[in-house]
Amino acid sequence: MLTRYRPYLQLTPLLLVLLLFVAAPLFFVVIVSFFRTDGFDIQPAFSFENYASVLSSRLTLQLYWQMVEYAALTWAITLFIGFFVAYFLVFHVRNRTVAIGLFLVCTVPFWTSNVIRMISWLPMLGQHGVINSALMAVGLVDEPLRFLLFSDFAVVLAYVHLFTIFMIVPIFNAMSRIDRSLFEAALDAGAGRLKTLLLVVLPLTKSGIALGSIFVVTLVMGDFYVVKVMSGGGSASVVSAMYDDVSTLLFPHAAASAVLLMIVLTVLVALFTRFIDVRQELVSQK
Amino acid sequence: MPKDDVKPESAVNDKATTPTDPSRRAVIKGAAAVATGAALAGVPLTGFPQIMKREIKDITLRHVGVSYAVQRAIGEQASKDLGFKIEMQNLDTSASITRFVTQPNSVDIADMEGWQVKVAMARKIIQAIDSKKIKEFDGILPIFTTGSYEGRKVSRQGISPYEVMYTDAGATKIIEGQRQHLTFLPQVFNADSIGYRPDKVGREVTEWKDLIDPKFKGRAAILDIPNIGIMDAAQALESRGDLVYGNKGNMTRKEIDITIEALIDLKKKGHFRASWSTFEQSVELMASGEVFIQSMWSPAVTAVLEKGIPCVYAPVGIKPNGKEGYRGWCNGMGLMKHLTGKKLDAAYEYLNWYYSGWQGAYVARHGYYSPVPRTAKAHMTPSEFDYWYMGKPAAEVIKSSHSQPIGQVGTVRDGGSLAQRFSNIACWNTVMDENQYMVQRWNEFKAA
Amino acid sequence: MTRAMVRAQRRRDAVPRPWTFYALAAFFTAYVLFLYGPMLCMYVLSFQGPQGALSFPMRGLSLYWFEQLWAGTTGDIGGAIRRSIPLALIVMVITVVFSVAAGLGFRRNVKGSSAIFYAVIISLTAPGYILGIGIGLMFNLFGWPTNWFSSALGAQLSWTLPFGVLITFAVFGRFNAAYEEAAKDLGATPAQTLRLVVLPILLPGIIAIALFGFTLSYDEFARTLQTTGSSNTVPIEIWSMTQNVTSPSIYALGTVTTGLSFLIIGTALGAITLIQRRRSAIGRSH
Repeated sequence: MLTRYRPYLQLTPLLLVLLLFVAAPLFFVVIVSFFRTDGFDIQPAFSFENYASVLSSRLTLQLYWQMVEYAALTWAITLFIGFFVAYFLVFHVRNRTVAIGLFLVCTVPFWTSNVIRMISWLPMLGQHGVINSALMAVGLVDEPLRFLLFSDFAVVLAYVHLFTIFMIVPIFNAMSRIDRSLFEAALDAGAGRLKTLLLVVLPLTKSGIALGSIFVVTLVMGDFYVVKVMSGGGSASVVSAMYDDVSTLLFPHAAASAVLLMIVLTVLVALFTRFIDVRQELVSQK
Repeated sequence: MPKDDVKPESAVNDKATTPTDPSRRAVIKGAAAVATGAALAGVPLTGFPQIMKREIKDITLRHVGVSYAVQRAIGEQASKDLGFKIEMQNLDTSASITRFVTQPNSVDIADMEGWQVKVAMARKIIQAIDSKKIKEFDGILPIFTTGSYEGRKVSRQGISPYEVMYTDAGATKIIEGQRQHLTFLPQVFNADSIGYRPDKVGREVTEWKDLIDPKFKGRAAILDIPNIGIMDAAQALESRGDLVYGNKGNMTRKEIDITIEALIDLKKKGHFRASWSTFEQSVELMASGEVFIQSMWSPAVTAVLEKGIPCVYAPVGIKPNGKEGYRGWCNGMGLMKHLTGKKLDAAYEYLNWYYSGWQGAYVARHGYYSPVPRTAKAHMTPSEFDYWYMGKPAAEVIKSSHSQPIGQVGTVRDGGSLAQRFSNIACWNTVMDENQYMVQRWNEFKAA
Repeated sequence: MTRAMVRAQRRRDAVPRPWTFYALAAFFTAYVLFLYGPMLCMYVLSFQGPQGALSFPMRGLSLYWFEQLWAGTTGDIGGAIRRSIPLALIVMVITVVFSVAAGLGFRRNVKGSSAIFYAVIISLTAPGYILGIGIGLMFNLFGWPTNWFSSALGAQLSWTLPFGVLITFAVFGRFNAAYEEAAKDLGATPAQTLRLVVLPILLPGIIAIALFGFTLSYDEFARTLQTTGSSNTVPIEIWSMTQNVTSPSIYALGTVTTGLSFLIIGTALGAITLIQRRRSAIGRSH
């Protein structure tokens, strides 16, 4: 009899956290998004003016477009890097312990706070920084390259730097589940290395790629801090605009913006999961 | 000496002591007076009577605010001197006010800027401070208490501390004009202008329009906090002669549009290297040479000097044609509404300690001013006071609070004396009526 | 066989590595260098003298900033670490347990699992900054105090659980239920099946979830900002410091963190290798 209720019990801890720390606060956020702002005070109301303001503003379009650009670039680069790094770790490193060790080496930088790592880009990319000094010493350039820092280049660079690991891990997991005998079978069937990659490895890694993509895109679109620092305030992001609203206590407007972002991202992620049907894969097991 | 003021043991053990008990209030007042007297004489504050220590030694006050106003060293000294615990927590300006408004019970002493006081009052989260309980109230500079300084009325562009300082006993609304009850106690304040590298700029800067001078294309930076950055931009535009603002602290939509369009134009021309939102960023931009001229905070200039790099804070006194002038700001302490009983007493003790001089001297070495210079004076060497407050040339090497030399003998601090700077304030930090519109347009500038 | 004979045998069995190994190894090395680039600047700059700034050129050479870090003069980093690390560990454990449980629960298509799945996605896409404010507001409304071990814990779980749950989906998707049935046929109780069959197979996924859980929690800023109560976690403390100081002591922190991490990892891996060697030695001596 307990077996019938067991799945419910297993889902309960997750459910409780989601109810208390996601559903309930978001309920407040949605309610506030309908309030009116009056100078320094917020008036309870049921008004669509915040949504109207957010949806009709050209700024919203600009910001979303900017973030989509960043997200697309970051996704493409992290996918490329993540795929081949994971491939190397899974298929070319023979000793399991060494693979884990190398993997952990990739994770160590993340245990230094992101704030510090953002700051440390300045000595790297600045005009007296390592890169510029090296380039000038070698003679490739006469003047320091200024676009390295406080630019779109810097923002995407920082995103790739921070988020590739989120692509590597799911792909690593997916690849390590691939049955090695498939390689031998492919070899016997006459497939070269490239063909094996495209026809055997890639399809079986689909779920890992999709998962990594979900992570990376969500992280980029939900960011406010990296854009602020690495673009030197030269670009705005959707969430940094929310941050500016909140700074002067324009909560209703920020709330409406937040609701919009959630809807957009949820739709995006739902599309991804339908594409590889993560849940279906799971549920088809009995 | 203090022991004479202590009531006999039996009265102390009487559980019926409440804050309204007049004899106990007298003791507190006496203790505070003694403490202030001790501070003025330069004596460390150890003379608090036993009654105070026993009653409130288990209290913890949570003081939350920005790290340049709510400094840990101050909290530690206060805890030592007062006998109860002051817990300081640092957040940035935006997170602080959000915290005060959404979680008022989690804070005891709120550190707020002048304009944030308006918000706090509108949301009814602070209580009125009885000025009669503040020993050094008369020592507070008239900029705050009367709105005038050195005979001149302090600028009313933006939100000046004077206009938000007074309220009624129940803290229901802000009232203009001197009253007994206050909304907040000014804590640190300063007058901001432009910082620049004299070795790279090559000449003296005394006008805001130099910030947008095409000569510094790609080497200028502006502040990325919308409601402050726009005022710096307005100062620069007015200085250049583009237009004259009615009230830079409360712009009309048309004025906002003109300002933002000018900023976007400058950005497209590549004038700004970056815009900064934290102290650390502004220092590094200047110290690394990425930027030669930028909106800057005074202690940031001090920090750059500490690294051995020349940096000057432009003296932008108001010219005869009415242009230029500093942008003033003021942080102060507010008492949250939920404070009562012993905790409230402890809070008043803390507020009084703040004005007793140690804190004033400490922040002076960062370049900030204390609202009560006469007590700060007692905790500084005469030459330090002359340098930081009176704008006189340094008689000895001036050291920062980290004991790094920042002013050689004979140098003068930027902007001259306190009097010179504060009688030259053009506008105060603010939040304008058209704030929502302004923030939106500011983000368009950033997205451009 | 002696150890020398084993090694000689291994060398004879060794398959020569294809050229792709070297290409990918180079690629991997480039990635690691990219990851560590800013970190190296950080390590070097943390050894500056008292006049040190956060970028080149180096000013002086000393351990001054390490002393400053230790003394805690410019920020309460020590206190923040004493909160961040336990918090990250707790979040790590809870994330693993709740995610795996949820994964098990999702396997049967129970009523409401769709809703929970979408709630998980929304939890991932919700802007952290706004959600944090919502949680703080809610706690204040209910009269609950906010603390790093209560409200911040919940807020961080709302961030790490979606990662954990999604990874669990991917991992379970490849899970062959035949193993469980086999265990059942052999007479194992559900608890034994779980402990001895399911979990060991899931172990790589579990390690991934644990890694994400710890790292995401330690670096978490947006959701923790308004929910941490009266004491800051490491990212918040460092961020608040940058409002007031420009101190290479944060670089010193990065150097110390990295050093400690490598020490821990090195020790752990060394221990594992030693245990494995001893086990195989014991095996051989029989």
